Amino acid sequence: MAMQVKREEIEGATVLTVKGSVDITSSPELRGELKAALDRKAPRIVVDMGGVTFVDSSGLATLIEALQKTQAYEGQVLLCNLSQAVLGVFQLANLDGIFQIRPTREAALKE
Amino acid sequence: MADGWQGIRISFTSDARYLEALRTVIREATGLAGMTEDDLSDVQLAVTEGCANVIRHCYQGCPDERIDVVLTFLEDQLEVRIDDYGKFVDPKHIKGRDLDDLKPGGLGVHLMRRAMDEVIYEKNGWGGTTLILRKRVKQEQEERKDSNA
Repeated sequence: MAMQVKREEIEGATVLTVKGSVDITSSPELRGELKAALDRKAPRIVVDMGGVTFVDSSGLATLIEALQKTQAYEGQVLLCNLSQAVLGVFQLANLDGIFQIRPTREAALKE
Repeated sequence: MADGWQGIRISFTSDARYLEALRTVIREATGLAGMTEDDLSDVQLAVTEGCANVIRHCYQGCPDERIDVVLTFLEDQLEVRIDDYGKFVDPKHIKGRDLDDLKPGGLGVHLMRRAMDEVIYEKNGWGGTTLILRKRVKQEQEERKDSNA
């Protein structure tokens, strides 16, 4: 399934709702959406991955890049709604302890 | 097949947009092999990473080169062979980054190694590289037994 990203501002957070596969072909689009938030130093970026069916190393790389950029200005990246399969990829890469991963969008927005 | 081979052969050109279709085939194939949902996801990931590396590094993003993927169902494991027709890459030069060194690149090889039981690189008969990925088929029943242990 081709990736779709919707960006909106909710309760002071920039929320990216991502659907489909985040892979070598689609991660540049996600990077572009994140860049728009990073360029204006958005304090909190929530990536809702509830509709993500697959993520590969290029998708992880895109999120690591965003995490590091937000850390540079003391911002936050929170991930939420990960399926077991997508969470499994983060675990394989030992990234589940690096990212702030929340079970729901509501929990991420409460931070 | 006369030789008793059981599996699926797929040839495609090195356009990364075809990887989604490849993953669909793998999902169906691993289902036929009786793999669990977790193992199925691992195989999809490893094959995607292997093919993406061929597209990026072997063919430098050129979308018109050939990649062959052969899935073979063995008695207790699934074997995937990914053949490219570029230059042979010495396995000594293929390594992922240290996971503690948090940076965006270099995760693909590491993910393949953790997702599969075996990852082997060989020179193939066309001068290119064959990546062999093997994963033991863990039946759902076995999975349940493990999780209850």
